[in-house]
Amino acid sequence: MFASAGISGTVGRAFLLVGFIGAVFGAFAAFTGARRNDPQIIRLIPRFSTLSFAAAVGAFAAMEYAMITRDFSLAYVQKVGSWSTPALYNFAAVWSALEGSILMWVLVLAGYTAAVSFWVRKRMQDLIASWALGVMFVVSAFFFLVSFFPANPFAAGAPGVLDGPGPNPLLQNHILVMFHPPILYLGYVGVTVPFAFAIAALITGRVGEGWLVATRRWSLFAWGFLTFGIALGSWWSYEVLGWSGVWAWDPVENASLLPWITGTAYIHSVLVQERRGMLRVWNISLLVATFSLTILGTFLTRSGVLNSVHAFSESSIGSWFLALFAVILVVSIGLIGWRGDKLRSPGVIDSPLSREAAFLANNVLFAVFAFVVLLGTVFPLIIEALQNRQIAVGAPFFDKLSMPIGLALLTLMAIAPVLPWRKASTETLRQRLFWPAWCGVAALVASLLLGAYGLAPLLTFTLGGISAGAAMRQVVLATRRQGWRGLVGRANGGMIVHLGVILIAVALGASNSFSKSQELSLVANVEASFSGHTFELKDVVEVRDDRSISVKALVLVDGKKIYAPAITKYTRIGMNVGTPSVRTSLTTDIYLTLEPPVRQDANEARIKVFIKPMIIWLWIGTALMAVGTVLAAFPGRRRKPTDATSAPIEVAAP
Amino acid sequence: MKTRRSVWLAMFLLVAVLLVFGSTRTGSPQTQQDRIDSLTSVLACPTCSGESVFVSRAVAAESIRAEVARQVSAGLRTDEQILSYIEQRFGGEVLLVPRATGVDALVWALPVAALVFSIFLLYSAFTKWRGNKPESPTSDDEQIVARALKTNTDEQ
Amino acid sequence: MKSNNLVKIVSTVVGIVIAMFFVVLVVADPSQDIVAQSPLLGQPAPAVASETIDGAQFVLERRKGSWVVLNFFNSTCVPCINEHDLLVDFADTEAANPNGAEIYTIINDDSSDAVRGFFNKNGGDWQKVKDDNGAIAVAFGVARVPETWIIDPNGLVRLRITGELSPGLLSEQVNKLRDGFTS
Repeated sequence: MFASAGISGTVGRAFLLVGFIGAVFGAFAAFTGARRNDPQIIRLIPRFSTLSFAAAVGAFAAMEYAMITRDFSLAYVQKVGSWSTPALYNFAAVWSALEGSILMWVLVLAGYTAAVSFWVRKRMQDLIASWALGVMFVVSAFFFLVSFFPANPFAAGAPGVLDGPGPNPLLQNHILVMFHPPILYLGYVGVTVPFAFAIAALITGRVGEGWLVATRRWSLFAWGFLTFGIALGSWWSYEVLGWSGVWAWDPVENASLLPWITGTAYIHSVLVQERRGMLRVWNISLLVATFSLTILGTFLTRSGVLNSVHAFSESSIGSWFLALFAVILVVSIGLIGWRGDKLRSPGVIDSPLSREAAFLANNVLFAVFAFVVLLGTVFPLIIEALQNRQIAVGAPFFDKLSMPIGLALLTLMAIAPVLPWRKASTETLRQRLFWPAWCGVAALVASLLLGAYGLAPLLTFTLGGISAGAAMRQVVLATRRQGWRGLVGRANGGMIVHLGVILIAVALGASNSFSKSQELSLVANVEASFSGHTFELKDVVEVRDDRSISVKALVLVDGKKIYAPAITKYTRIGMNVGTPSVRTSLTTDIYLTLEPPVRQDANEARIKVFIKPMIIWLWIGTALMAVGTVLAAFPGRRRKPTDATSAPIEVAAP
Repeated sequence: MKTRRSVWLAMFLLVAVLLVFGSTRTGSPQTQQDRIDSLTSVLACPTCSGESVFVSRAVAAESIRAEVARQVSAGLRTDEQILSYIEQRFGGEVLLVPRATGVDALVWALPVAALVFSIFLLYSAFTKWRGNKPESPTSDDEQIVARALKTNTDEQ
Repeated sequence: MKSNNLVKIVSTVVGIVIAMFFVVLVVADPSQDIVAQSPLLGQPAPAVASETIDGAQFVLERRKGSWVVLNFFNSTCVPCINEHDLLVDFADTEAANPNGAEIYTIINDDSSDAVRGFFNKNGGDWQKVKDDNGAIAVAFGVARVPETWIIDPNGLVRLRITGELSPGLLSEQVNKLRDGFTS
């Protein structure tokens, strides 16, 4: 029995095929052109990247068209489409399941390939660019192929289906589903660019600093979007999932965190290479690790070997990604081994008390952090393979181990920004850390006055204070010297990012340690109180639409404003989704959830109240990180060639 | 400078005293709700590996949460007993914190081993670097500086 | 020379670790067995006392002496709906057997009305036991409905089947257990 896939299905699949052919020809042209150094062939490359990008846009548009017109001849539309889904969520439904998210990957990757070939169009004769584009074409071809065969979004569905269940209820009740996945993908897929250039550098043997400097903004761009995407995911978790937390350490979250960790290590250690020409093997390894972790993460979460809220399905796609993962590792490690002699670094690090040594320590910590997250994520698989026994590794494990790592990183953030390159005396350190240290003392005293307790949170606040002082010191000195230009460039923008990170660390420390919660059984018009706030149930109402029935409890908080936590039953899927209601303020969030079972006729409701300090500072910190990343991408002050490499950044410091 | 040093010393002392004071004082006593929350945080939701019962809104997690709440408010069992009640029904994979015995202990030991190993690598790298550090700038270095200085003055 | 050796050792170790990791990933098996593990297998069944949707008492311990099949059920879950006809057939066959198994539905996160409506429409005249707050489900360690459990006349848990039943599976397992049973 063959069901026909309808017009958009046929068109979409044809686009995928065209895109695949474009990518294959592009790879062929790039590699042949680069090997023979033939300008005629190299000139063709941008055409192929434009072709694949156009094809990817076409395929994506065909999918959107099918989704918007509710073309139920497609299996994918049957799976996630529904007449009752509102237009916006229906648009986002395209990336709400496996096949569509791979299609989005194809689109973003083809977009990056086209953008890179546009960016290097005037420098096409630089063979490193051709090789890099070749690598990107190969990866694109792989994804076109995955989308064509095992994760085909245009497969025909069972005949006679006229309506579907719609996307997962969690993906159709908050506007963030429009933004979180695309932004995360811009980061996740974006790491392909620096990876491709690293491979190209290895192939051409030009492993010096040129390619690093050239791809600096691409790395920063990808890292920035990855950071922002992860933060949006946390925000979504807080606003939608109803457990009042921002990070659950589930495998999909870990899959996005892993490349972020190695990527963060890279954007720090790359500074050492740019400045001192050292750590070449290490930096290339970090890029390889970052890229291969995106593929590994996709394998872990999409193959069904681990299950999680986000894990979509079980399909044969796993073996494809595992194969790609193996190829990446073998090729990269082979190339690094082959170029080993050229990668030998000329320099030495003089002193453990220097900027570069601090970066090294930072890298060790990030490497251990990545190892911990990876180990915890795959440990159940290891035990299953060894002993055929099921175990779980979850948040308590990750929390316990990431806390000391986080504190150590905060310590580094306190000291590293004041360290000069090459060598520092303890005297310099004492002098430069003087005011930052007092900031730390002030933070400690303030938090004690506010009633904080416990070693870990107090250490977090103290170190946060010192780090903030150190970062501010750098920014203040730079702006005093250079005016507004003291805010841009890597070092200064980086300090703004640090300030954002510190805010997040402090807010996490406070909200994890000093949250309170209580379940309240509220009876209508009877006031209950908890932790100095009053809660009064005004009504329980039911709201129906054609996709769901929601029960809302209208709760008057502190006699001022009504908040309405809800439980929504998505009738077509038979799934209950809670929707928390949050009163946000600069100091404390009051987070209300409605607890099952609910009856709208009864004049009572069970409400769980969470009092969580400082949550909003997580989002402010995120915004600051975003601003800092943008500032860091602007060209900063060029170092005068006369400055000795050992000169401290703030040469004109008073 | 002498005064600075004593200021630093005073600061260290102050921080140490404050930290000791802050880490010995405790917050409000643990409520039943705190107990429920901390117990459910170390139990895995059986239908969604990786997430805790505290986090998950899945049906199975709701049921376990309700059971834990029931047992906590009955007040007859200790935390350990409640956890083992759940474990006896759902199996070892319901505990989110791996045990520190047998092969499972690897998950705790390996990170420490990784840290020790990388510190050892750092240490040996630094000893190596210290060994072949150039004593003074080479003549090449001096030439580079001279050339750079020259271009710089030309530009101005 | 010494540092060269170190590089070699480190890269060998890293290589071995990656290779082993890869093996683990290759053997990782996404599929799950239909006959599932449970710490309760061979143990006395948890004490269950509740009432049916018709208001009758249900105490599992009083069912000792006969084979009992518990089916954890929700009227909106698709595999539950799919396997329902098989359960009806099974109940009919067992009713004809003097040593036949009793079957009970344990309601999971569903209203009595919805369950009543479902059974009126799709058949099945055995008792449906209420499970408020999922206490019974937790007592058995039920993860995701449907699950089907077999308890022997001594009140020991003998088998746990997770997921949708395949045709004949339940009869086959019950017969096998019954044939091998000596009280």
